[in-house]
Amino acid sequence: MPALAWLGIVFVYPLGRLLSASLFTPTLSLASYARLLGSSIYLTVFVNTFEIGATVTMLALALGYPLAFVLATAGPRVSRLMLAAVIVPLWTSVLVRTYAWMVLLGRRGLVNEGLQSWGLLDAPLPLLYNRLGVTIGMVHVLLPFMVLPIYSVMKGIDTDLLKAAQNLGANRRQAFLRVYVPLSLSGLATGSLLVFVSALGFFVTPALLGGRRDMMIAMLIDNQISQLLDWGLGSALAVVLFAITAGLLLAVQRFTRAERLWARIP
Amino acid sequence: MSSMTRRYVLKMGVLTAASAAVTQVRAPGLVHAQSKQLTVCSWGGAYQEAQRKTMFQPFETETGIKIVEASPTDYGKLKAMVQSGNVEWDLVDVGDLNVIAGTKDNLLEPLDYQTIDTKGVFPQVVHKYGIGTIYYSTVLAYSTKKYAKGDHPKTWAQFWDTKAFPGPRTMRNNPADNLEFALLADDVPMDRIYPMDVERAFRSMDRIKKQINPWWTTGAQPAQLLSDGEVELATSWSGRIFAIQKQGAKAALEWNQGKLQWDSWVIPRGSRNKDGAMKFIAWSTQPKPQAAIANEIPYGPVNQKAFELISAQAAKDMPTAPENAKRQLMVDPVWWGEHRNALVERWNAWLLK
Repeated sequence: MPALAWLGIVFVYPLGRLLSASLFTPTLSLASYARLLGSSIYLTVFVNTFEIGATVTMLALALGYPLAFVLATAGPRVSRLMLAAVIVPLWTSVLVRTYAWMVLLGRRGLVNEGLQSWGLLDAPLPLLYNRLGVTIGMVHVLLPFMVLPIYSVMKGIDTDLLKAAQNLGANRRQAFLRVYVPLSLSGLATGSLLVFVSALGFFVTPALLGGRRDMMIAMLIDNQISQLLDWGLGSALAVVLFAITAGLLLAVQRFTRAERLWARIP
Repeated sequence: MSSMTRRYVLKMGVLTAASAAVTQVRAPGLVHAQSKQLTVCSWGGAYQEAQRKTMFQPFETETGIKIVEASPTDYGKLKAMVQSGNVEWDLVDVGDLNVIAGTKDNLLEPLDYQTIDTKGVFPQVVHKYGIGTIYYSTVLAYSTKKYAKGDHPKTWAQFWDTKAFPGPRTMRNNPADNLEFALLADDVPMDRIYPMDVERAFRSMDRIKKQINPWWTTGAQPAQLLSDGEVELATSWSGRIFAIQKQGAKAALEWNQGKLQWDSWVIPRGSRNKDGAMKFIAWSTQPKPQAAIANEIPYGPVNQKAFELISAQAAKDMPTAPENAKRQLMVDPVWWGEHRNALVERWNAWLLK
């Protein structure tokens, strides 16, 4: 009960305020939503946001899953060291990590200068101020949120099960894909959701590493709220982002539950 | 009132009741304690440091009014404070457009020109709800590694000419400044920029759009990009270029066809120390503090008498030095105040296309 009241205060109340700010401009009307639908910018930016979110999630999964596996199966000393390497970047500000990528990926950055001095490139590659730069920066920032939940689930998987499967005639690949992966699915789902949902609200990284077409929804909301003082439209954007995200989460939750059920059937 | 309060409390629940009670208990004490305290919000960084050294500290010593600093200026926060009735800032340093916007939204206190002596202050920065703090410029900046001084582009038409002046370049991700520069690049004379022919400006922007990357969002970016060699040409705020020159960066600026603008002091409606804020404004617009801040950081004083107290050497880096000012365009904040929101929306759509 106190927990519910707490949730009510810190989540439901602000959301209610947000919703009312989007509807009362200053009298009750759907004008902000009409403006949102009436212009193609907002649709483009929503599409951008979800595209970037999905790409970042898939890449983080591709990098994070093997990393979590190594972490979970390595010896205690190695695993402790690697875990620290995953967690320490979380203590560094996103801004600093974003600027670090600017140093690495710029036209005169370490990567381009290095490749050019080895004669591998004639002209610098465009690694920054485009979708690639945004993706690299965001995957870096969000990777721990993928690795940690998968790691914690993997830690609980009994690796003897793999041996048992192999004893029963599965080869290593089959044992991994049909025993280990299904058991780690809940971590995978949690990690992917965390990364995807956080990616949708990203602001600093796309603003600093992106090009003109990489505008994400949070940048637009900031624009409306703190520069143009158009709280109606800003709130409407936030409400729509929230509704789409919540809808997606519910759908994914259904899906993963079914998935887990399916995984348990041998 | 009390029955209304009770009904309201019943409706809104325990939380509101608690906070209302706290406000009622705290308010009288606070008002008393704060009459000798002034909360000033500015932009942070080297600029606010200069304000501290040349304005906040001397003002405190002279008047005994303690200044509490906040930063950075955030228009959204300002609006939230005024609308919620919890105004934490007594005095805010804002861009010229937000005096107009803040007036329209009824967020500001009118200034008391009985207290504030505007003798010597440039008339264009004197507004019913705000008064200039300093002048700054948005200018064409270039890498001196790439272009020897004298061989650099000196007009926006040359900045637009990517054949004669090749190389990566950056502009601000905002219609302000860029649309004016686009018209200048399209040979519109400086005195005929306002009211702006927006269609023509966007057509001109179309010609340079693909050559610009990145579009900067914070004032530190163009300076950083120039000193890293990421770009060779940029639009930038004048003060930033001098700041990186001091650090040894190979960058310089061209005053010709720059855009002169100013920041303003405003008092949020419902400020707890309106009188103190008014006193500070009256004090800080006088020639002496104006000269002191311009000597500390090369922005332009809003009081022309300050130039009598500034060395010729220091004055030549200031946007309002007569030599520099006469080659620049002066912003029309009223025009921008009317058109900004629509133009930002159009700008975003244009960028995404």
